[in-house]
Amino acid sequence: MTPILTATLIIAAVGALAALALAVADKYLAVKEDPRIGLVTAALPGANCGGCGFAGCGAYARALVDGTAAPGACTAADAACAAEIGRILGVAAEATEKRVALVLCCGTRSEAVRIGDYNGLCDCSAAHATAGGDKGCRFGCLGYGACANVCPRNAIRIEDGLAAVDKRLCIGCGKCVAACPRKLIRLVPAKATVHVLCNNPLRGPEVNKVCGVGCMGCHLCEKNAGGKEAGHFAFEGFLARVNYDNPPTDAQLVAKCPRHCIREDAHYETGK
Amino acid sequence: MGSMRYLIIIVGAVLVNNFVLNRFLGCCPFLGVSKKTETALGMSGAVMFVMTVASAVTWLLDRFLLAPFGLGYVHTLAFILVIASLVQFIDIAMKRFMPPLHAALGIFLPLITTNCAVLGVAELNCKNGTPFFESVLFSFAAALGFGFALVLFSGIREKLAHANPPRCFRGVALALVTAGLLSLAFMGFSGLVKLPY
Amino acid sequence: MMKSIQSMFKFFGGVHPDYNKDLARDRAIEAIPLPKTLVVSMSQHLGRPAVCCVKPGEHVARGQLIGTRDGLISVAVHAPAAGTVKAVEPRPGAAGAWADAVVLETDEDQAATPEVRMPPLDGRAATRDEVLARIADAGICGMGGAGFPTAVKLTPRVDRGCEILILNGAECEPYLAADDRVMRERADRIRAGVEILQRILGGPSVRIAVEANKPEAIAALEQAFAGIEGDVAVVVLPVLYPQGSEKHLIYSVTGRSVAPGALPSSVGCIVENVATIAAVADAVLDGVPLTARVTTVSGDGIAQPRNVLAPVGTSYADLVAFCGGEKPGVRKVVSGGTMMGLTVPNLDIPTTKTTSGLLLLTEARVFQYASSPCINCGRCIRACPMRLNPAALSRAVESDDIAAAEALGVMNCVECGACAFGCPAYRSITHHCRRAKNAIRARAAARKN
Repeated sequence: MTPILTATLIIAAVGALAALALAVADKYLAVKEDPRIGLVTAALPGANCGGCGFAGCGAYARALVDGTAAPGACTAADAACAAEIGRILGVAAEATEKRVALVLCCGTRSEAVRIGDYNGLCDCSAAHATAGGDKGCRFGCLGYGACANVCPRNAIRIEDGLAAVDKRLCIGCGKCVAACPRKLIRLVPAKATVHVLCNNPLRGPEVNKVCGVGCMGCHLCEKNAGGKEAGHFAFEGFLARVNYDNPPTDAQLVAKCPRHCIREDAHYETGK
Repeated sequence: MGSMRYLIIIVGAVLVNNFVLNRFLGCCPFLGVSKKTETALGMSGAVMFVMTVASAVTWLLDRFLLAPFGLGYVHTLAFILVIASLVQFIDIAMKRFMPPLHAALGIFLPLITTNCAVLGVAELNCKNGTPFFESVLFSFAAALGFGFALVLFSGIREKLAHANPPRCFRGVALALVTAGLLSLAFMGFSGLVKLPY
Repeated sequence: MMKSIQSMFKFFGGVHPDYNKDLARDRAIEAIPLPKTLVVSMSQHLGRPAVCCVKPGEHVARGQLIGTRDGLISVAVHAPAAGTVKAVEPRPGAAGAWADAVVLETDEDQAATPEVRMPPLDGRAATRDEVLARIADAGICGMGGAGFPTAVKLTPRVDRGCEILILNGAECEPYLAADDRVMRERADRIRAGVEILQRILGGPSVRIAVEANKPEAIAALEQAFAGIEGDVAVVVLPVLYPQGSEKHLIYSVTGRSVAPGALPSSVGCIVENVATIAAVADAVLDGVPLTARVTTVSGDGIAQPRNVLAPVGTSYADLVAFCGGEKPGVRKVVSGGTMMGLTVPNLDIPTTKTTSGLLLLTEARVFQYASSPCINCGRCIRACPMRLNPAALSRAVESDDIAAAEALGVMNCVECGACAFGCPAYRSITHHCRRAKNAIRARAAARKN
């Protein structure tokens, strides 16, 4: 026998043996896994933001395939993505309304009073725990960026002592909502354009003392938007809140707010 | 005398000729799986298992199949074949019997397939012509050394994660510098024992 | 004469800050004239706030109950003076948290409304349950700083019971002299309190722990406690911050170490502040609820540093006015001591049962700094009385790795500030620890819900 033939035969035999062993192992030791899990995971945005309530996209995909989670919990998925998942699972996925975070404060450094020099950690919860923070308004944005730090998409930036959300980058995962010690970030429908940017429910004079642009609850916005029956606004103490089930669309409201805390499209967009 | 020789083999493989830090074998998992001590420990365990088993299998393959036919020149090919199938087998078995470990090691198990440390130890055994038990012991000790270096390095990297280095050094850059320094430190072990090979 | 003994145990770590106690330590306790308005917070203690039981417009007598206990870990609140309730509304406290408070407009003529007192108990005959109920009814909480409900503390759940009752008169915080003055001027009252507690706790040894820098207080205690029955002694502690921290005090006095996360009762000890003990005596023997305390008003920014006996709810502004007003150039106002005290944003904050001091500090005493990276000098490690690694903790928190901070034992941190005190890089180490602790607590609370 020529050496080359021997070598070829022996290597081939070893390979065949190994292949056989693997084939047997695959048959008898394999773990059955639904192939749809992989497909759904691939279809999801893959941000692993946890906005759906599960530990990442993989866990959510598994729950979707198991049927323990409702499709549409992913706030980061667009309509095409939701449709794709629906196709894989064979159910009609409800189209989710895209929601984005909104910072309910417009008290910039020039408008809101600061009551002390804060020289501690650059973190909102740390500042909040130190004599209640250096901002006079105890409901307003401290601007130390706790929300920006947890944002998985870098969609929040701090500008002039205020956090601002980029509407296009925001995937509505709600991490910033949880991180804010003052609870002034809310998830609102992305298509809503008119917002009340204030979170202070106190009376007018008390708001006035600490902020130049705080809502005093004068109800003028409600009147201008068709009165109470129209239901565009809800009031919480002396604070107007937009009813996001039925948001106002009239851009005129912005100019008519005597306190200038109603703003149109309060998000910034990168590159603009 | 025998036990002393075994001790020397172990010390030599773990410290003096550490696979990662002196022979520069298996650098890929060394850098890839060293961010957390926990995963590093799992990876070390997997490598120890694979290397010991692989060296035994390749020794037998070399002695009883390749050597009689004078096929020493194809042993690299044969070893790759055997090691690759072996790792695949372990992958399947681990997925079945130890799912948490499988989930933790994830993509790194297949990485062992092409791990030069595993192939390197088989090659070294072949080259040195050591007897069966010594070969297996040497492989195990080499894997132990690999795990030792990996865990050490992951401990340092866990601390480094809290450091605040200049921007250009962050991440892999600093990891590579640290690996180099660790390797330099291990040079201090040279001459510790008189190696049989 | 009662014997006084030297402490034989020195805990690890600790620092020596500038004490500056001379400003106020020789000033006798002076009562402040009754302020026109008192703001009595319902949250003066550790635990759940009291539930307000008066309405705006109501007239209350001195000593009348205005806030009832809400659950076990809570403390009752009483009116410090006769007056009319103007409002019940959220007001800021020293820590910046807003809590419901009774705004009381005090009457000009205090004698017109008779003071409400509970019936006095006989200190020698009253049962254990009667005394504990009285302590709870009188709204007594720890007056050292944390404000833990005293009645709960005196009911140890751990089987070892109380072997040693330690009176905390260490007062290791700089500037403060309130406890020092109470020991000097009310030593008899402390003795009366000790006798009551000795009886209801089943005759434990009593150790009164005082730092060596208060010789007059030690002398006063020795004199007042002369001839007392049982094993009672003053323990003279070396001057070292944080000597007054509960766990360290126990170690200094008894040599017993309290395990991390365990309570003092696990080593058979109960620690009470000296002023608390005096308040217990007042409540039991006279039926007077806790409505006033001694607060040291000091610092280089106050005209006349004093030890003021002020009703609870006196605003900081009234305290400052009583002490001659502030000197020009005040930069920082601290409620409590300089090590663990809380910086307050204004003087419009009321005192509580735990306000041990009010410090006004000028530019010369306030240091504006910028934190820089850790230089690995290890000074904080040597200073940390809890044997933590503050440098590593601070770095972990800085890189948002709360899990690593937890693994390093941040929950054992007592926030004494010894680490940040000596840091040559001016790192806010204590602040980092506090942040990590808050984050861990918030996460645990979220998990529970």
